[in-house]
Amino acid sequence: MTQFTLNGQPVEVENTPDEMLLLVIRDTLKLIGTKYGCGAAMCGACTVHVDGVAMFSCQMSVGDVEGAEVTTIEGLSEDGSHPVQQAWIEEQVPQCGYCQSGQIMRAAALLADNPTPSRAEIVDEMSANLCRCGTYNRIFKAVERAAQEV
Amino acid sequence: MTLTMNRRSFLQGTAGLTFLMGAQGITAVRSEAATGALDVNHWLTIRADGTILVVHPSTEMGQSSYSTLPQILAEELDADWADIEIEQLNADDRRFGNQLFGGVLYTAGSTGTQFYFDPMRKAGAQARDVLLQIAARAWGVDKSTLRTDPSVVVGPDGQAAGYGALAALGADGITVPDVDTVALKDRAQFRIIGHDVPRRDVPAKSTGQAVYAIDVDVPNMAYGAVLRAPVEDEVPLSVDDTAARDIPGVIDVVTLPDGVAVVAESLWSALGARGLLQVEWSRTSPFRSSNSDATLAEYAAAAHAPGAQGAVWAEKGDAPAAIAGADKQFSQLYLSDYAYHGQIEPMAAVADVDADGHGAEVRAGTPTQSWTARTVAQTLDIPVEAVRLNMMTMGGGFGRRTALMQNYVRDAVLCSRATGRPVKVIWPREDDVKQGTFRPAAAQKLHAGLTADGKLDGWYHKVATPSVIGFFNPLRWEVARPNDVISMRGAESKFYGIKDFRADHLIMDRHARLSPYRGIGASYTAFAAEAFMDELAEAAGRDALDFRLDLVKDNPRGRHLLEKVADMSGWHTRGNRALGLSFAGYSSSMAAGVAEVEVDADRGDIRIKKIWAAIDAGLIVTPDNAHNQIEGGIIFGISMALSEKIDIENGEVLQENFYDYEITRAHQVPEIDIYIAEVDAPPVGVGEVGTPMVSAAIANAFYAAQGKRLRHMPFTPDRVAGALDT
Ligand code: FES
Ligand code: FES
Repeated sequence: MTQFTLNGQPVEVENTPDEMLLLVIRDTLKLIGTKYGCGAAMCGACTVHVDGVAMFSCQMSVGDVEGAEVTTIEGLSEDGSHPVQQAWIEEQVPQCGYCQSGQIMRAAALLADNPTPSRAEIVDEMSANLCRCGTYNRIFKAVERAAQEV
Repeated sequence: MTLTMNRRSFLQGTAGLTFLMGAQGITAVRSEAATGALDVNHWLTIRADGTILVVHPSTEMGQSSYSTLPQILAEELDADWADIEIEQLNADDRRFGNQLFGGVLYTAGSTGTQFYFDPMRKAGAQARDVLLQIAARAWGVDKSTLRTDPSVVVGPDGQAAGYGALAALGADGITVPDVDTVALKDRAQFRIIGHDVPRRDVPAKSTGQAVYAIDVDVPNMAYGAVLRAPVEDEVPLSVDDTAARDIPGVIDVVTLPDGVAVVAESLWSALGARGLLQVEWSRTSPFRSSNSDATLAEYAAAAHAPGAQGAVWAEKGDAPAAIAGADKQFSQLYLSDYAYHGQIEPMAAVADVDADGHGAEVRAGTPTQSWTARTVAQTLDIPVEAVRLNMMTMGGGFGRRTALMQNYVRDAVLCSRATGRPVKVIWPREDDVKQGTFRPAAAQKLHAGLTADGKLDGWYHKVATPSVIGFFNPLRWEVARPNDVISMRGAESKFYGIKDFRADHLIMDRHARLSPYRGIGASYTAFAAEAFMDELAEAAGRDALDFRLDLVKDNPRGRHLLEKVADMSGWHTRGNRALGLSFAGYSSSMAAGVAEVEVDADRGDIRIKKIWAAIDAGLIVTPDNAHNQIEGGIIFGISMALSEKIDIENGEVLQENFYDYEITRAHQVPEIDIYIAEVDAPPVGVGEVGTPMVSAAIANAFYAAQGKRLRHMPFTPDRVAGALDT
């Protein structure tokens, strides 16, 4: 039994504590916005915030988040109005879109931490997440656009 | 063909006017309507409430056809885009088939807009004409006095009626204009095509709401994980599943033709139990002796062999004679390795086989309703009509999901049939890599002649690689043989006018699973051709741009791109900047590119500083999306040029995941400057045009920087170091 806060709501799950956080979020708690891409800390599709920090949820066990605050893409805003999400729409970033929840969560954590990142800081931070469709330059622009809003 | 609408062909009042027979979820009334006289115009339904349902016949994998294709219809219908609802085609309904693939429903080869542009324009124009006729009759005026504003017919005295209201009046007795002669708009009248209408799928993809096959959740669903044979063609001989079955949540262990599946209440349990399976595999497969280094050496020897000939892929004049008679002769060998797609969504499918086994519902993300339905039908030995498909948006394709037999779908079907439950099968990343279907390894020998004054005099391009179609779609190979467009595209060098030209396919034995990959053959043939072109220009003592300009005299649009990209990149004033030029494309779409690189000789590292690209893809329906697709295609080209390589030893793929199969990350992405030509020509596709020219532009820029040639792609640090040592 693990208790934590998910998108502002207290949750309690009966999964064994060693179960991958990503799968608990997706398969037990049915929040499918967080994606599986590699299970190996290489793609970032699974990025969520744990106590405000961008983390690969494929690299954490659900037991690791006992008592923590976990935020997924579904909890970033109620209605897609988070400045990063709005910037993503304005810049028409997604192609297949599969990587984009993770990209948005990483970008949102970056801006929360550093509201005026330089281009180099953006590129550096976003290098943790892969986009096979190649939307990187739009991602950079969208992060810069969102930085003006937050 | 001219058709008259009759009572069965429209829906009275409540539902509106049916032009189109939707594929799924159609009411009985609509079915009856569509089996009537109007099945030529099966593309749309105008409802009485003014909403307009338009079929999306392709499948969405990131290319944006889900928005682009309905926009084409909406344009000629002169609809308000906000009124358009999009219905995914979820059946193998060949009325919507892509004739560029013989009528198969197959979203590939950057052909969606190219093929559907005409039929969807005409469908929209027919519907608009019918609405005008309804309004003319209602108002007692001549049709020619009417015009349309978005979703509204406007009459001579300012009367106005929305499309929904007109549809509700019915179309009894109205004649549908002939599809071949129906009037189409002038380009100058376009309100949607060529304008930046936002993609429909972007909000959902920016909020985590888009549902992919891997996300599907249906009641009572179980999860399957498959232990697959380590080597192609091997089969499980015996299975000890005692430990696996002890894992809580395990429902069953199912033996598949080429693997063993664990079906469990959760993916976590299924994966855990899979790790405990003890399987004895057969050891008789000839693929056990497959080694990628030996394969490439075998292909290189074939390409090198004096007088080697293959199936003629393209020919003009007499290339061998011209080269033999030229003042100077040159030849060079280029190599490229196996490459993997790396789409970020792994393969996944959900199947729910009916209790009687006579039907099944399947949710999968594939480019083809036709082959997906066929896979399920064959697996269960049921008619295609008994397959209920749901085509899910895909987390990338790039050729990965194109096969005639879709193994991961088959796995899900077999697991569902065995357990009587809906089952979601996911191939984790390692499975997707190890069970991958790859771009083939290839060896290419190019021969050319030069005149004394430095002009090209004969070109002979030999490509030694297996048939990709022969493996991934044997049905298609029966028809196409020996012409394999997947293996050979690009080797025709069709954007150049070369008087004596020949390209041959030396069809090699296959030693790995193969499939199309972004750019298909052009991803390596354009590398060889454009790297060789640079070597020839240098041998001729000519500038690489001038040398190519000789060859585009009859291709003014291509010439424009070369001149444009030279301008953009400052080619003529480049000084010490290490620039490399390349000119290739995909099918009929052309791309001229220049790469600027910096080389870290100690680390064998090539840094791409900037890429300029000038593109001609005919008419562009959605400019902003075209830009996104082209840029993504260029980044894909960088990725495959610098790092992408699959190795095979004793039939097993050595790579596992993105740590040993590296694709381009954010910090490796250069600034990319893209120009898209505005031309009065039909659309020919933007999904792959950016990719093929990139690798040669990089190799040629590397030569400008270091004076050494890179002839083996990818240009990994060890190969770069090797080239610098020569
Ligand atoms: S799924 Fe977690 S980093 Fe790729
Ligand atoms: S949008 Fe497709 S992987 Fe990023």
